[in-house]
Amino acid sequence: MSLTETAQFEIPNLPLAAFEDGTSVLLTGDDTDLLESVFYRLVAAREDERSLVLATEASGRAVNRGLDGAADGASDRSAVLTCAGPDAAENVTGVDDIADLTGLGMQFSTLVADSQATTGRLRAGILLCSSICAAVDDTRSVYRFLNSNLLSQLRRNEAVGVCALDTSADIGTNVDSFLAGMKASFTGRIDVEADGPGRAILHVSGLGDDRSVEVSL
Amino acid sequence: MVDQTVLCIGADDDVEDMAAALDEEADLAPIARTSVAEATAFLDTESVAAVVTEYELSDGTGLDVVDAIRDHAPQTPCVLYTDVSPSDIDTASFEDAIVEYLNRDLPDAADRLGFVVDDVIAHSAQVGFLVPDDEDSRLAALDSYDVDDLPIEESFDRLTDLISSHFDTAVAFIGLIDEQEEDILACTGGDWDSITREETICTHSMLQEDVMVVEDISEDKRFAQNQQLHDLGIVSYAGANMTTPEGQTIGQVCLIDHERRSYSPEQRAQLQQFAETAMEILELRQSLLEASDAEVAP
Repeated sequence: MSLTETAQFEIPNLPLAAFEDGTSVLLTGDDTDLLESVFYRLVAAREDERSLVLATEASGRAVNRGLDGAADGASDRSAVLTCAGPDAAENVTGVDDIADLTGLGMQFSTLVADSQATTGRLRAGILLCSSICAAVDDTRSVYRFLNSNLLSQLRRNEAVGVCALDTSADIGTNVDSFLAGMKASFTGRIDVEADGPGRAILHVSGLGDDRSVEVSL
Repeated sequence: MVDQTVLCIGADDDVEDMAAALDEEADLAPIARTSVAEATAFLDTESVAAVVTEYELSDGTGLDVVDAIRDHAPQTPCVLYTDVSPSDIDTASFEDAIVEYLNRDLPDAADRLGFVVDDVIAHSAQVGFLVPDDEDSRLAALDSYDVDDLPIEESFDRLTDLISSHFDTAVAFIGLIDEQEEDILACTGGDWDSITREETICTHSMLQEDVMVVEDISEDKRFAQNQQLHDLGIVSYAGANMTTPEGQTIGQVCLIDHERRSYSPEQRAQLQQFAETAMEILELRQSLLEASDAEVAP
Protein backbone atom coordinates (compact mmCIF):
# COMPACT_ATOMS: atom_id res chain seq x y z
CA MET A 1 0.00 0.00 0.00
CA SER A 2 1.41 3.36 -0.95
CA LEU A 3 0.86 6.78 0.51
CA THR A 4 -1.19 9.24 -1.52
CA GLU A 5 1.15 11.09 -3.84
CA THR A 6 -0.55 14.47 -3.69
CA ALA A 7 1.88 17.33 -4.23
CA GLN A 8 2.40 19.47 -1.15
CA PHE A 9 3.35 23.11 -0.80
CA GLU A 10 5.20 23.76 2.45
CA ILE A 11 4.52 26.90 4.51
CA PRO A 12 7.71 26.89 6.59
CA ASN A 13 7.44 30.31 8.23
CA LEU A 14 3.85 30.04 9.44
CA PRO A 15 2.45 27.43 11.85
CA LEU A 16 0.31 25.88 9.13
CA ALA A 17 0.29 22.41 7.62
CA ALA A 18 1.47 22.12 4.02
CA PHE A 19 -1.16 22.92 1.39
CA GLU A 20 -2.17 20.18 -0.99
CA ASP A 21 -1.99 20.73 -4.73
CA GLY A 22 -5.10 22.63 -5.88
CA THR A 23 -5.74 24.39 -2.56
CA SER A 24 -7.33 27.83 -2.80
CA VAL A 25 -7.11 30.17 0.18
CA LEU A 26 -9.17 33.24 0.91
CA LEU A 27 -6.96 35.55 3.00
CA THR A 28 -8.87 38.30 4.79
CA GLY A 29 -8.27 41.05 7.30
CA ASP A 30 -8.60 44.78 7.87
CA ASP A 31 -4.90 45.55 8.38
CA THR A 32 -3.25 45.61 4.94
CA ASP A 33 0.31 45.50 6.33
CA LEU A 34 -0.43 42.29 8.21
CA LEU A 35 -2.34 40.91 5.21
CA GLU A 36 0.66 41.54 2.94
CA SER A 37 3.04 39.93 5.40
CA VAL A 38 0.99 36.73 5.60
CA PHE A 39 0.33 36.80 1.84
CA TYR A 40 4.04 36.83 0.97
CA ARG A 41 4.75 33.95 3.38
CA LEU A 42 2.07 31.88 1.66
CA VAL A 43 2.95 32.78 -1.91
CA ALA A 44 6.78 33.06 -1.96
CA ALA A 45 8.22 30.33 -4.21
CA ARG A 46 10.56 27.74 -2.73
CA GLU A 47 13.47 26.20 -4.66
CA ASP A 48 11.50 24.05 -7.10
CA GLU A 49 8.56 26.42 -7.53
CA ARG A 50 7.46 29.61 -9.25
CA SER A 51 5.29 32.45 -7.91
CA LEU A 52 2.85 34.59 -9.84
CA VAL A 53 1.54 37.67 -8.04
CA LEU A 54 -1.13 40.05 -9.28
CA ALA A 55 -0.60 43.19 -7.19
CA THR A 56 -3.23 45.91 -7.32
CA GLU A 57 -1.70 48.49 -5.01
CA ALA A 58 1.91 47.38 -4.38
CA SER A 59 4.66 48.24 -6.86
CA GLY A 60 6.74 45.53 -8.49
CA ARG A 61 9.70 46.56 -6.36
CA ALA A 62 7.64 46.24 -3.16
CA VAL A 63 6.31 42.83 -4.17
CA ASN A 64 9.82 41.57 -4.92
CA ARG A 65 10.97 42.85 -1.53
CA GLY A 66 8.06 41.14 0.19
CA LEU A 67 8.69 37.82 -1.55
CA ASP A 68 12.41 37.90 -0.77
CA GLY A 69 11.64 38.69 2.85
CA ALA A 70 9.50 35.56 3.04
CA ALA A 71 11.88 33.21 1.19
CA ASP A 72 15.47 33.87 0.12
CA GLY A 73 15.69 34.61 -3.60
CA ALA A 74 11.95 34.15 -4.13
CA SER A 75 11.71 37.15 -6.46
CA ASP A 76 14.12 35.42 -8.86
CA ARG A 77 11.55 32.66 -9.19
CA SER A 78 8.57 34.98 -9.58
CA ALA A 79 6.53 36.95 -12.07
CA VAL A 80 4.69 40.05 -10.93
CA LEU A 81 1.77 41.75 -12.62
CA THR A 82 1.23 45.13 -11.02
CA CYS A 83 -1.37 47.83 -11.43
CA ALA A 84 0.74 50.24 -9.36
CA GLY A 85 3.68 51.96 -10.98
CA PRO A 86 5.89 51.20 -13.98
CA ASP A 87 7.86 48.02 -14.65
CA ALA A 88 10.67 48.04 -12.10
CA ALA A 89 12.47 44.82 -12.83
CA GLU A 90 12.75 42.07 -15.38
CA ASN A 91 10.09 39.96 -13.68
CA VAL A 92 7.56 42.80 -13.42
CA THR A 93 4.81 43.59 -15.94
CA GLY A 94 2.78 46.77 -15.57
CA VAL A 95 -0.96 46.91 -16.15
CA ASP A 96 -2.55 50.20 -17.15
CA ASP A 97 -6.11 49.73 -15.98
CA ILE A 98 -7.13 47.58 -13.01
CA ALA A 99 -10.74 47.56 -14.23
CA ASP A 100 -9.75 45.99 -17.57
CA LEU A 101 -10.27 42.44 -16.38
CA THR A 102 -10.16 41.08 -19.94
CA GLY A 103 -6.63 42.42 -20.45
CA LEU A 104 -5.59 41.52 -16.91
CA GLY A 105 -6.77 37.94 -17.40
CA MET A 106 -4.88 37.52 -20.65
CA GLN A 107 -1.67 38.81 -19.06
CA PHE A 108 -2.20 36.48 -16.12
CA SER A 109 -2.71 33.45 -18.43
CA THR A 110 0.43 34.31 -20.38
CA LEU A 111 2.51 34.45 -17.20
CA VAL A 112 1.10 31.13 -16.01
CA ALA A 113 2.14 29.56 -19.32
CA ASP A 114 5.61 31.13 -18.98
CA SER A 115 5.93 29.76 -15.43
CA GLN A 116 4.98 26.30 -16.61
CA ALA A 117 7.84 26.38 -19.09
CA THR A 118 10.24 26.59 -16.11
CA THR A 119 8.63 24.38 -13.48
CA GLY A 120 5.25 22.79 -13.06
CA ARG A 121 4.79 23.92 -9.43
CA LEU A 122 3.13 27.29 -9.03
CA ARG A 123 2.01 29.54 -6.18
CA ALA A 124 -0.39 32.17 -7.51
CA GLY A 125 -1.85 35.07 -5.60
CA ILE A 126 -3.95 38.20 -5.89
CA LEU A 127 -3.13 41.13 -3.62
CA LEU A 128 -5.71 42.70 -3.20
CA CYS A 129 -8.92 41.33 -4.69
CA SER A 130 -10.85 44.05 -2.82
CA SER A 131 -9.17 46.68 -5.06
CA ILE A 132 -10.50 44.90 -8.14
CA CYS A 133 -14.00 44.70 -6.62
CA ALA A 134 -13.89 48.42 -5.87
CA ALA A 135 -12.73 49.29 -9.40
CA VAL A 136 -15.40 47.47 -11.41
CA ASP A 137 -19.09 48.33 -11.73
CA ASP A 138 -20.37 44.76 -11.84
CA THR A 139 -19.07 42.19 -9.36
CA ARG A 140 -20.05 39.39 -11.75
CA SER A 141 -16.96 40.38 -13.75
CA VAL A 142 -14.79 39.69 -10.70
CA TYR A 143 -16.34 36.26 -10.27
CA ARG A 144 -15.79 35.55 -13.98
CA PHE A 145 -12.18 36.72 -13.63
CA LEU A 146 -11.53 34.50 -10.59
CA ASN A 147 -13.18 31.49 -12.26
CA SER A 148 -11.41 32.00 -15.56
CA ASN A 149 -7.96 32.71 -14.18
CA LEU A 150 -7.11 31.82 -10.59
CA LEU A 151 -9.48 28.90 -9.92
CA SER A 152 -9.05 27.34 -13.40
CA GLN A 153 -5.29 27.41 -13.12
CA LEU A 154 -5.40 25.68 -9.72
CA ARG A 155 -7.52 22.94 -11.24
CA ARG A 156 -5.29 22.40 -14.27
CA ASN A 157 -1.82 22.80 -12.82
CA GLU A 158 0.21 21.69 -9.84
CA ALA A 159 -0.58 24.87 -7.99
CA VAL A 160 -1.98 26.62 -4.94
CA GLY A 161 -3.65 30.03 -4.92
CA VAL A 162 -4.21 32.84 -2.45
CA CYS A 163 -6.75 35.61 -2.87
CA ALA A 164 -6.26 38.45 -0.36
CA LEU A 165 -9.10 40.76 0.51
CA ASP A 166 -9.06 43.88 2.68
CA THR A 167 -12.28 43.66 4.67
CA SER A 168 -12.17 47.37 5.53
CA ALA A 169 -12.33 48.41 1.85
CA ASP A 170 -15.52 49.73 0.28
CA ILE A 171 -16.26 47.11 -2.37
CA GLY A 172 -19.77 48.31 -3.20
CA THR A 173 -21.55 45.39 -1.60
CA ASN A 174 -22.19 43.86 1.79
CA VAL A 175 -18.72 42.63 2.78
CA ASP A 176 -19.96 39.89 5.13
CA SER A 177 -22.31 38.47 2.53
CA PHE A 178 -19.64 38.73 -0.18
CA LEU A 179 -17.10 36.96 2.05
CA ALA A 180 -19.57 34.21 2.90
CA GLY A 181 -19.89 33.47 -0.81
CA MET A 182 -16.15 33.61 -1.41
CA LYS A 183 -15.46 31.37 1.58
CA ALA A 184 -17.83 28.69 0.28
CA SER A 185 -16.01 28.66 -3.04
CA PHE A 186 -12.44 28.46 -1.77
CA THR A 187 -10.86 25.49 -0.04
CA GLY A 188 -10.14 27.45 3.11
CA ARG A 189 -9.93 30.83 4.75
CA ILE A 190 -7.30 32.56 6.87
CA ASP A 191 -8.50 35.66 8.67
CA VAL A 192 -5.73 37.88 10.00
CA GLU A 193 -6.46 39.75 13.24
CA ALA A 194 -4.03 42.29 14.68
CA ASP A 195 -2.75 41.32 18.12
CA GLY A 196 -0.35 44.07 19.14
CA PRO A 197 2.78 45.40 17.42
CA GLY A 198 4.20 42.85 14.97
CA ARG A 199 1.81 40.19 16.13
CA ALA A 200 -1.36 38.66 14.71
CA ILE A 201 -3.81 35.89 15.29
CA LEU A 202 -4.60 33.74 12.26
CA HIS A 203 -8.09 32.27 12.32
CA VAL A 204 -7.81 29.25 10.02
CA SER A 205 -10.76 27.29 8.62
CA GLY A 206 -11.16 24.67 5.91
CA LEU A 207 -7.45 23.82 5.85
CA GLY A 208 -7.37 20.77 8.10
CA ASP A 209 -8.24 21.50 11.70
CA ASP A 210 -10.08 24.79 12.22
CA ARG A 211 -8.07 26.77 14.76
CA SER A 212 -6.61 30.13 15.76
CA VAL A 213 -2.84 30.56 16.02
CA GLU A 214 -0.70 33.44 17.24
CA VAL A 215 2.15 34.51 14.96
CA SER A 216 4.91 37.11 14.88
CA LEU A 217 5.07 39.03 11.61
CA MET B 1 -23.12 10.97 -25.41
CA VAL B 2 -24.20 14.02 -27.41
CA ASP B 3 -21.34 15.95 -28.98
CA GLN B 4 -20.71 19.48 -27.70
CA THR B 5 -20.80 22.10 -30.42
CA VAL B 6 -17.76 24.38 -30.39
CA LEU B 7 -17.91 27.42 -32.64
CA CYS B 8 -14.48 28.14 -34.18
CA ILE B 9 -13.84 31.50 -35.83
CA GLY B 10 -10.78 32.54 -37.84
CA ALA B 11 -9.37 32.96 -41.32
CA ASP B 12 -9.64 29.86 -43.51
CA ASP B 13 -6.31 28.25 -42.59
CA ASP B 14 -6.54 29.22 -38.91
CA VAL B 15 -10.02 27.87 -38.43
CA GLU B 16 -9.11 24.59 -40.11
CA ASP B 17 -6.24 24.18 -37.63
CA MET B 18 -8.56 24.90 -34.70
CA ALA B 19 -11.18 22.44 -35.91
CA ALA B 20 -8.53 19.78 -36.53
CA ALA B 21 -7.20 20.19 -32.97
CA LEU B 22 -10.69 19.91 -31.48
CA ASP B 23 -11.59 16.94 -33.68
CA GLU B 24 -8.98 15.01 -31.73
CA GLU B 25 -11.14 15.32 -28.62
CA ALA B 26 -14.01 12.91 -28.08
CA ASP B 27 -17.42 14.59 -27.67
CA LEU B 28 -16.41 17.91 -29.25
CA ALA B 29 -18.01 18.93 -32.55
CA PRO B 30 -16.27 21.97 -34.06
CA ILE B 31 -18.20 24.24 -36.43
CA ALA B 32 -16.11 26.66 -38.53
CA ARG B 33 -16.95 30.26 -39.38
CA THR B 34 -14.61 32.88 -40.83
CA SER B 35 -15.97 36.27 -39.72
CA VAL B 36 -17.71 38.11 -36.91
CA ALA B 37 -20.85 38.42 -39.03
CA GLU B 38 -20.99 34.71 -39.81
CA ALA B 39 -20.34 33.83 -36.19
CA THR B 40 -22.99 36.14 -34.74
CA ALA B 41 -25.52 34.92 -37.32
CA PHE B 42 -24.82 31.36 -36.20
CA LEU B 43 -25.15 32.31 -32.53
CA ASP B 44 -28.51 33.96 -33.24
CA THR B 45 -30.01 30.59 -34.14
CA GLU B 46 -27.88 27.93 -32.48
CA SER B 47 -26.59 27.28 -28.98
CA VAL B 48 -22.97 26.30 -28.48
CA ALA B 49 -20.99 24.76 -25.64
CA ALA B 50 -17.96 26.99 -26.22
CA VAL B 51 -16.40 29.48 -28.63
CA VAL B 52 -12.81 29.45 -29.90
CA THR B 53 -11.75 32.48 -31.87
CA GLU B 54 -8.74 34.15 -33.45
CA TYR B 55 -8.25 37.77 -32.41
CA GLU B 56 -7.90 39.37 -35.86
CA LEU B 57 -10.89 38.68 -38.08
CA SER B 58 -11.79 40.11 -41.49
CA ASP B 59 -14.62 42.29 -40.15
CA GLY B 60 -13.61 42.89 -36.55
CA THR B 61 -11.99 41.01 -33.69
CA GLY B 62 -12.63 37.89 -31.67
CA LEU B 63 -13.68 40.12 -28.78
CA ASP B 64 -16.63 41.32 -30.90
CA VAL B 65 -17.82 37.72 -31.01
CA VAL B 66 -17.29 37.32 -27.26
CA ASP B 67 -19.27 40.50 -26.66
CA ALA B 68 -22.13 39.15 -28.78
CA ILE B 69 -22.31 35.83 -26.97
CA ARG B 70 -22.16 37.48 -23.54
CA ASP B 71 -25.45 39.18 -24.52
CA HIS B 72 -27.13 35.92 -25.61
CA ALA B 73 -25.63 33.32 -23.30
CA PRO B 74 -23.30 34.90 -20.73
CA GLN B 75 -22.22 31.59 -19.23
CA THR B 76 -20.73 30.30 -22.51
CA PRO B 77 -16.94 29.90 -22.19
CA CYS B 78 -14.77 31.61 -24.83
CA VAL B 79 -11.15 30.93 -25.77
CA LEU B 80 -9.05 33.49 -27.59
CA TYR B 81 -6.59 31.36 -29.58
CA THR B 82 -4.15 33.72 -31.19
CA ASP B 83 -0.53 34.65 -31.79
CA VAL B 84 -1.27 38.29 -30.97
CA SER B 85 0.30 39.30 -27.66
CA PRO B 86 -2.06 40.47 -24.87
CA SER B 87 -0.32 43.85 -24.93
CA ASP B 88 -1.34 44.30 -28.58
CA ILE B 89 -4.97 43.39 -28.01
CA ASP B 90 -7.38 46.30 -27.74
CA THR B 91 -9.58 45.54 -24.75
CA ALA B 92 -10.75 49.11 -24.17
CA SER B 93 -14.35 48.34 -25.13
CA PHE B 94 -14.36 44.82 -23.71
CA GLU B 95 -13.13 45.27 -20.15
CA ASP B 96 -15.49 42.69 -18.67
CA ALA B 97 -15.67 40.24 -21.60
CA ILE B 98 -13.13 37.94 -19.91
CA VAL B 99 -11.86 35.06 -22.01
CA GLU B 100 -9.40 32.25 -21.79
CA TYR B 101 -6.24 33.39 -23.60
CA LEU B 102 -4.14 30.72 -25.32
CA ASN B 103 -1.06 31.67 -27.32
CA ARG B 104 -1.12 29.62 -30.51
CA ASP B 105 2.65 30.05 -30.90
CA LEU B 106 3.29 27.77 -27.90
CA PRO B 107 4.94 24.53 -29.05
CA ASP B 108 2.08 22.37 -27.76
CA ALA B 109 -0.69 24.90 -28.44
CA ALA B 110 -2.86 22.55 -30.51
CA ASP B 111 -2.76 19.87 -27.78
CA ARG B 112 -3.51 22.46 -25.11
CA LEU B 113 -6.48 23.82 -27.07
CA GLY B 114 -8.41 20.56 -26.84
CA PHE B 115 -7.58 20.18 -23.15
CA VAL B 116 -8.57 23.76 -22.34
CA VAL B 117 -11.85 23.60 -24.28
CA ASP B 118 -12.77 20.34 -22.56
CA ASP B 119 -11.96 21.89 -19.19
CA VAL B 120 -13.86 25.14 -19.68
CA ILE B 121 -16.95 23.24 -20.82
CA ALA B 122 -16.79 20.65 -18.03
CA HIS B 123 -16.29 23.23 -15.30
CA SER B 124 -18.36 26.15 -16.67
CA ALA B 125 -15.11 28.00 -16.25
CA GLN B 126 -16.18 31.54 -17.08
CA VAL B 127 -19.46 31.92 -15.25
CA GLY B 128 -20.12 35.20 -13.50
CA PHE B 129 -20.79 33.63 -10.12
CA LEU B 130 -18.97 31.43 -7.64
CA VAL B 131 -19.92 27.82 -7.08
CA PRO B 132 -19.51 26.11 -3.71
CA ASP B 133 -16.38 24.04 -3.22
CA ASP B 134 -18.59 20.94 -2.81
CA GLU B 135 -20.73 21.61 -5.90
CA ASP B 136 -20.52 18.03 -7.23
CA SER B 137 -21.92 16.50 -4.05
CA ARG B 138 -24.50 19.29 -3.81
CA LEU B 139 -25.75 18.50 -7.32
CA ALA B 140 -25.81 14.78 -6.48
CA ALA B 141 -27.94 15.58 -3.43
CA LEU B 142 -30.34 17.61 -5.58
CA ASP B 143 -30.47 14.77 -8.10
CA SER B 144 -31.62 12.34 -5.41
CA TYR B 145 -35.02 14.08 -5.28
CA ASP B 146 -37.41 13.04 -8.05
CA VAL B 147 -38.89 16.51 -8.18
CA ASP B 148 -40.75 15.97 -11.46
CA ASP B 149 -42.53 12.92 -10.03
CA LEU B 150 -43.45 14.42 -6.66
CA PRO B 151 -46.93 15.91 -6.10
CA ILE B 152 -45.52 18.99 -4.39
CA GLU B 153 -46.84 21.76 -6.60
CA GLU B 154 -50.07 22.37 -4.67
CA SER B 155 -48.34 22.16 -1.28
CA PHE B 156 -45.68 24.62 -2.35
CA ASP B 157 -48.26 26.94 -3.94
CA ARG B 158 -50.14 27.06 -0.64
CA LEU B 159 -46.90 27.64 1.21
CA THR B 160 -45.77 30.58 -0.96
CA ASP B 161 -49.29 32.07 -0.61
CA LEU B 162 -48.87 31.88 3.16
CA ILE B 163 -45.33 33.27 3.09
CA SER B 164 -46.25 36.20 0.88
CA SER B 165 -49.25 37.01 3.07
CA HIS B 166 -47.27 36.65 6.30
CA PHE B 167 -44.51 39.05 5.25
CA ASP B 168 -46.74 41.24 3.05
CA THR B 169 -44.33 41.03 0.14
CA ALA B 170 -45.07 41.36 -3.56
CA VAL B 171 -43.57 37.97 -4.38
CA ALA B 172 -42.66 34.78 -2.52
CA PHE B 173 -41.14 31.80 -4.28
CA ILE B 174 -39.50 28.42 -3.75
CA GLY B 175 -36.69 27.44 -6.11
CA LEU B 176 -34.24 24.59 -6.52
CA ILE B 177 -30.79 25.44 -7.89
CA ASP B 178 -29.27 23.10 -10.44
CA GLU B 179 -26.02 23.44 -12.37
CA GLN B 180 -27.27 26.06 -14.82
CA GLU B 181 -30.40 27.65 -13.41
CA GLU B 182 -32.85 28.04 -10.57
CA ASP B 183 -36.04 26.07 -11.20
CA ILE B 184 -38.95 27.93 -9.60
CA LEU B 185 -41.35 25.31 -8.20
CA ALA B 186 -43.92 27.72 -6.77
CA CYS B 187 -44.30 31.47 -7.02
CA THR B 188 -46.93 33.76 -5.54
CA GLY B 189 -47.09 37.22 -7.06
CA GLY B 190 -45.08 36.41 -10.18
CA ASP B 191 -45.16 34.14 -13.21
CA TRP B 192 -41.60 32.90 -13.04
CA ASP B 193 -40.47 29.44 -14.24
CA SER B 194 -36.70 29.69 -14.01
CA ILE B 195 -33.83 32.15 -13.74
CA THR B 196 -30.29 31.44 -14.90
CA ARG B 197 -27.80 30.87 -12.16
CA GLU B 198 -25.82 33.90 -13.26
CA GLU B 199 -28.84 36.15 -12.91
CA THR B 200 -30.56 34.90 -9.77
CA ILE B 201 -29.70 36.41 -6.39
CA CYS B 202 -30.18 32.94 -4.89
CA THR B 203 -26.81 32.00 -6.43
CA HIS B 204 -25.28 34.18 -3.72
CA SER B 205 -27.78 33.50 -0.96
CA MET B 206 -27.17 29.73 -1.13
CA LEU B 207 -23.50 30.29 -0.28
CA GLN B 208 -24.14 31.83 3.11
CA GLU B 209 -25.46 29.99 6.14
CA ASP B 210 -27.85 32.61 7.45
CA VAL B 211 -30.70 34.41 5.72
CA MET B 212 -29.41 36.82 3.09
CA VAL B 213 -31.10 40.20 2.75
CA VAL B 214 -30.50 42.81 0.06
CA GLU B 215 -32.47 45.88 1.00
CA ASP B 216 -32.02 47.56 -2.39
CA ILE B 217 -30.29 45.79 -5.26
CA SER B 218 -29.33 49.09 -6.88
CA GLU B 219 -26.96 49.70 -3.95
CA ASP B 220 -25.17 46.36 -4.32
CA LYS B 221 -22.61 45.89 -7.12
CA ARG B 222 -23.39 42.20 -7.35
CA PHE B 223 -26.87 43.03 -8.65
CA ALA B 224 -27.08 46.70 -9.62
CA GLN B 225 -26.06 46.01 -13.26
CA ASN B 226 -28.20 42.88 -13.57
CA GLN B 227 -30.83 43.99 -16.08
CA GLN B 228 -33.02 40.90 -15.72
CA LEU B 229 -33.55 41.61 -12.02
CA HIS B 230 -34.60 45.16 -12.84
CA ASP B 231 -36.88 43.90 -15.63
CA LEU B 232 -38.60 41.64 -13.10
CA GLY B 233 -39.19 44.65 -10.87
CA ILE B 234 -37.01 43.33 -8.07
CA VAL B 235 -35.84 45.95 -5.59
CA SER B 236 -35.43 44.05 -2.32
CA TYR B 237 -34.65 40.41 -1.62
CA ALA B 238 -34.52 37.98 1.28
CA GLY B 239 -33.57 34.32 0.86
CA ALA B 240 -33.24 31.33 3.20
CA ASN B 241 -31.57 28.01 2.47
CA MET B 242 -33.38 24.71 1.92
CA THR B 243 -30.83 22.31 3.31
CA THR B 244 -30.94 18.50 3.10
CA PRO B 245 -30.58 16.41 6.28
CA GLU B 246 -27.01 15.73 5.10
CA GLY B 247 -26.24 19.46 5.02
CA GLN B 248 -26.39 20.22 1.27
CA THR B 249 -28.12 23.43 0.21
CA ILE B 250 -30.32 22.60 -2.78
CA GLY B 251 -32.78 25.46 -2.89
CA GLN B 252 -34.12 28.70 -1.52
CA VAL B 253 -37.30 30.17 -0.10
CA CYS B 254 -37.36 33.82 -1.08
CA LEU B 255 -39.15 37.10 -0.62
CA ILE B 256 -39.13 39.81 -3.27
CA ASP B 257 -40.49 43.31 -3.08
CA HIS B 258 -40.79 46.08 -5.59
CA GLU B 259 -39.63 48.61 -3.04
CA ARG B 260 -36.75 48.93 -0.63
CA ARG B 261 -37.30 47.09 2.62
CA SER B 262 -35.48 45.53 5.54
CA TYR B 263 -36.22 42.50 7.71
CA SER B 264 -35.93 42.24 11.49
CA PRO B 265 -34.00 39.36 13.11
CA GLU B 266 -37.36 37.80 14.02
CA GLN B 267 -38.57 37.99 10.43
CA ARG B 268 -35.33 36.43 9.18
CA ALA B 269 -35.76 33.58 11.66
CA GLN B 270 -39.34 33.10 10.49
CA LEU B 271 -38.23 32.96 6.85
CA GLN B 272 -35.69 30.30 7.80
CA GLN B 273 -38.50 28.34 9.46
CA PHE B 274 -40.53 28.50 6.26
CA ALA B 275 -37.51 27.20 4.32
CA GLU B 276 -37.20 24.30 6.76
CA THR B 277 -40.91 23.57 6.30
CA ALA B 278 -40.48 23.52 2.51
CA MET B 279 -37.58 21.11 2.89
CA GLU B 280 -39.64 18.85 5.16
CA ILE B 281 -42.44 18.74 2.59
CA LEU B 282 -39.94 17.75 -0.09
CA GLU B 283 -38.42 15.08 2.17
CA LEU B 284 -41.79 13.62 3.12
CA ARG B 285 -43.02 13.51 -0.48
CA GLN B 286 -39.78 11.82 -1.55
CA SER B 287 -40.10 9.26 1.27
CA LEU B 288 -43.68 8.47 0.22
CA LEU B 289 -42.62 8.05 -3.40
CA GLU B 290 -39.79 5.70 -2.46
CA ALA B 291 -42.10 3.68 -0.18
CA SER B 292 -44.66 3.44 -2.93
CA ASP B 293 -42.02 2.32 -5.48
CA ALA B 294 -40.81 -0.32 -3.03
CA GLU B 295 -44.35 -1.70 -2.64
CA VAL B 296 -44.91 -2.18 -6.38
CA ALA B 297 -41.44 -3.63 -7.02
CA PRO B 298 -41.55 -7.43 -7.64
